[in-house]
Amino acid sequence: MSENMTRRLTAEDTAFVQTDDKIYDQKFEGKPIGFFRDAWMRFKQNKASVVAAIIILFIVLMAIFAPMFAPYGYREQHTSFGILPPRIPELEKLGICDGSKIIEIQASKLGEYEECLMEVLEEYTWVYRNKEIPMLRIKINQYIYKGAGDYYFWFGTDNIGRDLWVRLWRGTRISLLIGFCSVLINCLIGVVYGSISGYYGGRVDMIMQRIIEIIGGVPFLVMSILFVMFMGAGVTSFILVLILTGWIGMSRMIRAQFYRYKDYEYVLASRTMGAKDRTLIFRHILPNAIGPIITQATFAVPSAIFSESFLSYLGLGIQAPEPSIGVLLAEGQGFLTTDPHLTLFPALVISLLMLAFNLFGNGLRDAFDPRMRGQ
Amino acid sequence: MTDERILEVKHLCKFFYAGKHSAPMKAVNDVSFHINRGETLGLVGESGCGKTTTGRTVIRLYQPTSGEVWFNGKRIDGKLNAEEARAVTSKMQMVFQDPVASLNPRMTVEEIICEGVKINNLYPSREERRKQMYRMLDMVGLTREHATRYPHEFSGGQRQRICIARALITQPDMIIADEPISALDVSIQAQILNILSDLRKELGLTILFIAHDLSVVKYFSNRVAVMNAGRIVELSSSREIYDAPMHDYTKSLLSAIPVPDPRVEKKRKRISYDRRQDYGPDDHPQLREVRPEHFVLMSDSEWEAYQKA
Ligand SMILES: Nc1ncnc2c1ncn2[C@@H]1O[C@H](COP(=O)(O)OP(=O)(O)O)[C@@H](O)[C@H]1O
Ligand SMILES: [Mg+2]
Repeated sequence: MSENMTRRLTAEDTAFVQTDDKIYDQKFEGKPIGFFRDAWMRFKQNKASVVAAIIILFIVLMAIFAPMFAPYGYREQHTSFGILPPRIPELEKLGICDGSKIIEIQASKLGEYEECLMEVLEEYTWVYRNKEIPMLRIKINQYIYKGAGDYYFWFGTDNIGRDLWVRLWRGTRISLLIGFCSVLINCLIGVVYGSISGYYGGRVDMIMQRIIEIIGGVPFLVMSILFVMFMGAGVTSFILVLILTGWIGMSRMIRAQFYRYKDYEYVLASRTMGAKDRTLIFRHILPNAIGPIITQATFAVPSAIFSESFLSYLGLGIQAPEPSIGVLLAEGQGFLTTDPHLTLFPALVISLLMLAFNLFGNGLRDAFDPRMRGQ
Repeated sequence: MTDERILEVKHLCKFFYAGKHSAPMKAVNDVSFHINRGETLGLVGESGCGKTTTGRTVIRLYQPTSGEVWFNGKRIDGKLNAEEARAVTSKMQMVFQDPVASLNPRMTVEEIICEGVKINNLYPSREERRKQMYRMLDMVGLTREHATRYPHEFSGGQRQRICIARALITQPDMIIADEPISALDVSIQAQILNILSDLRKELGLTILFIAHDLSVVKYFSNRVAVMNAGRIVELSSSREIYDAPMHDYTKSLLSAIPVPDPRVEKKRKRISYDRRQDYGPDDHPQLREVRPEHFVLMSDSEWEAYQKA
């Protein structure tokens, strides 16, 4: 055979092989695992997000039921009981949330506090124009002092004597309501808009994206001020503002999913079999986006709540007497140095909500991650 | 095999336009061929030469830029009414290259296989549909228990068999198999080819078999069309293509096949093919019949030169 000879293949060089092999497939063990079951199995493993889910559930339940079973109404004023500290039965025996308050008085005035005095913490002298005035730092029961000995305001009262417990949960309820409603509507608009834009592409897509850029270009604060100006402050105008700006992110995500999946081979396979646009969109392409939709919606809830609080804090949001977490924070801020409980409880609830929703969202994102499927 | 032409493609062109001002990407450029009933035509060429685009344009996934596609005696490119469309959607099926991407991960095997039947309303009763599905599973070597499973539980070869079952359940006249084995493990490739080959014999299927590798096509096809840069450069029976390749590109492809004999393999020489400029407007490149049933792409001048020689 010479060096530079190339070998010609003949028909005999290629032939069927392994034709008699029996195809051997193993039977599968266990049950078939559907999409949501698979996601749930992975979600369970993430302890932090399970805890977060429980916290969210707890706060939601409280927001729904606590105002119903509270002994006082959210706008019921007890004008003579302004700014009472928290007082909770049973716990007060342990010395926490016992309605106590620490004040500084002249020793000669101790008589006024005889009934409600709990403890003398410190005696000192105050030198005023060379005169030595004996002073006392004492802990008194504010409830007895104000003649509210039979009352238990669990989280205390605000400056016009409204029960903070009921106001806080009612405020949480409104904040959550705004969060959920706006996110739900945003999802609907975003999914429909993004689907059309991504599925049809081309000129339709081009025009729809330019519209988005115009709407997205208006700053959020400007938009909210305009809405409040024309519609007045309130839950509806508020949700409208959040909707007008919030669906854009969702629609972009959905559009990206469509661009990614519309040329996938199983979508093409279905198309060659004559499937209609409707089937392709809802059966084959959109389900890929279920995970990202749920995840993104979960992250959108705390940010909607935060926007609400932020605007209410600025006085552009929910109006008195209706509470929301932002309104309570704004009210409490005036008493931050003397009575921090008015700020503490709303701040705790909103922080917990933010943290829990974000952890929960993270867990969902991992659970729905297609790369993790089957693990 | 009869001489009845089940598919006839005439001067098919598919250009992709990236922008308004840039030159179009001529993925398929003036391609003509036909397939007889019961025949297997291999379509070979390197990656990016336009094989997939040809297959997808034939099955109406892409709108052709120009040219005609005739299927079962009817013209099927362009707009069709529901009745005509059904004749294509049920009688022509496709098996795709990537078995992972070709199955919807949210659907069970049963839903996947039955989809085409449902859409085309072939077996109205659920019982009948299911019975048919079980037959298909059996035909490709899967069991009934597999019907309730989701795709991610299957291996690549099993997935490709599901794809074949999905393509076959509508009782198609023709199947376009777009590199059905190139994404598979080598050990599984023979299995899939054998299944296709058996089915072809049993059911009298017509297959347009797309591959980038002549050795696979060789024993699988009756005739072979070699494609390069959007054009068919040589078309003949597979024996002729192997024994007497005419076009330089075909020779180059053949020289790339490894030989299972180390002594020969060591000395195997690749013939390189320099991709020439596309033909000019006056060249009139055409498939010319150089021998009976053996066509080679030549421009007017090349044809003259060949006839003189
Ligand atoms: N949708 C598309 N848009 C633009 N160019 C494309 C598109 N599809 C394929 N092409 C181009 O057309 C050529 C042929 O592609 P294809 O038919 O997939 O080749 P093959 O299947 O032979 O590997 C390639 O150069 C590819 O980049
Ligand atoms: Mg290809």
